[in-house]
Amino acid sequence: MAGIFRRNGAGDAPARYSAPQLARKGLTGEEWPRVWRDHEIKPAYDVIIIGGGVHGLATAYYLATNHGITNVAVLDKGYLGGGGSGRNTAIVRSNYLTPEGVAFYDRSLSLYNSMAADLNINVMFSERGHLTLAHTDSALRTMHWRAEVNKLQGIDSSVIDPDEVKKLAPSLDVSTHPRYPILGALYHPPGGIIRHDAVVWGYARGADHRGVHLHQKTEVLDILVEGGDGPGGKGAGGKVTGVRTNKGDISAPIVVNCTAGWGSLISNMAGVKLPINTHPLEAAVTEPVKVFLPTVVVSGSLHVYVSQTDRGELVFGASVDPLATYSMRGSLSFTEELAGHILELMPGISKMRLLRQWAGLCDMTPDYSPIMGFTPVEGHLTDVGWGTYGFKAGPVSGEQMAECIATNTTPKLIAPFALERFSTGQLVGEKGAAAVGH
Amino acid sequence: MLLVPCPHCGPRNQSDLRLVGATVPRPDPNATTPEEWGDYLYLRDNPADWIEETWYCRAGCRRYFTLTRHQGTNEFRNPPMPGDKVGTATYTTISVGSSGSQPGANIEPHTTGGAS
Repeated sequence: MAGIFRRNGAGDAPARYSAPQLARKGLTGEEWPRVWRDHEIKPAYDVIIIGGGVHGLATAYYLATNHGITNVAVLDKGYLGGGGSGRNTAIVRSNYLTPEGVAFYDRSLSLYNSMAADLNINVMFSERGHLTLAHTDSALRTMHWRAEVNKLQGIDSSVIDPDEVKKLAPSLDVSTHPRYPILGALYHPPGGIIRHDAVVWGYARGADHRGVHLHQKTEVLDILVEGGDGPGGKGAGGKVTGVRTNKGDISAPIVVNCTAGWGSLISNMAGVKLPINTHPLEAAVTEPVKVFLPTVVVSGSLHVYVSQTDRGELVFGASVDPLATYSMRGSLSFTEELAGHILELMPGISKMRLLRQWAGLCDMTPDYSPIMGFTPVEGHLTDVGWGTYGFKAGPVSGEQMAECIATNTTPKLIAPFALERFSTGQLVGEKGAAAVGH
Repeated sequence: MLLVPCPHCGPRNQSDLRLVGATVPRPDPNATTPEEWGDYLYLRDNPADWIEETWYCRAGCRRYFTLTRHQGTNEFRNPPMPGDKVGTATYTTISVGSSGSQPGANIEPHTTGGAS
């Protein structure tokens, strides 16, 4: 597999992955072409997308695929998939709380389902079922609420009792001994895990193949706006003319912000203030062991979620750190709390060792829903505010943002997530289903 | 874990305190636009830079105070000392021992490093 990433002439288009190709390359020793190519930065593009993660790349891919707009550049200050797209715990599901949220994430899940065929890359989607544990009566009540909202929208989701939980995940302690006993769970069979890097590479490869330029190590220093009522012609009423990067100015009438944790800094450059606070979220992974955990397990009360990868490692995540910061340093208190909480659920794994821990930045909004679509600055669009649930929404966000850009109207699916909702008061409160709900 | 310089208790674990966040003046609800009210409720600066924010020392002195923190590096700048004017409230300390000395005068200012 390592050969896929070897440089093999910048001009080669990506080859289709198939069994005959694999046999041919295996027999002849021929190298695979690069997954995506490097290009010179052009002085002007039709659309510039800031942020080369799942959201940015999916937007570029669907712009090219669904709408034929290929004069597009994706800029990233680091490498593709180096932010939240490579730091999340790779869980996908659609059992949200509000009808708007459920419809949105369900579309995303169906795109994830057909992704391997659509993108011609093995994304290792494992539809293994998703358990959200309830430890209190009020949590159980919310589970019932969520299950009914889900069923009404045609989502496979139901509340099950501790015996059924034990059958699905035998390693869980369903006795009444723990401080927070398991009283039941919301079971969501279509949920599962997916290989997040492959999703990024798949979208990058698909976008590159259709003519989109991917520029890594290209940091946006400023967004050029004229005619606005703020300082320097920025702010409401202004019009985007391009971006200033560390590699020079690039002009474009449309600049899309897909930068997650850095979203408020980027939109500030255009004079648009976003109600976002950046919090780090920590995660950890253990050494690999034989497969014993067949589902994804989430506990809101214990602030932990866990799944076992195909390699056998347990991947843990938690809730966001309480401190708003851009620092991604790990902390011992996280590890300590995580270990305590996970042993409450699964006492049997007390001898397992952690391999590593890391943090990613989450752009938290007041109502735990994203901020998508147009802003008061013409040509500046946002796809941020993704908090702790950005990865699972990547494909549908890309598809809807691409439609938004191509048709210059807000698609129905993302209309509830407009920036205006914070002044009209029509918030989309997803805290009950999204706060620790992975 | 972050060490937070409480002006009354000295450096304390972050878990002993609660970050209340930046405080902004409350506009008159009868004479404000929905946009201004939305901004007051939800909009806060989120720079990778120095910010002023309110902390609550819930496990120590149980007082509210303002600290200046760098959101990129988590350093605290010029932590206030007892007797300093913090925000709008003025704190006084009871001086113990030698009479006539200024409150807090014999206490070394504590810092957690970084710019001053």
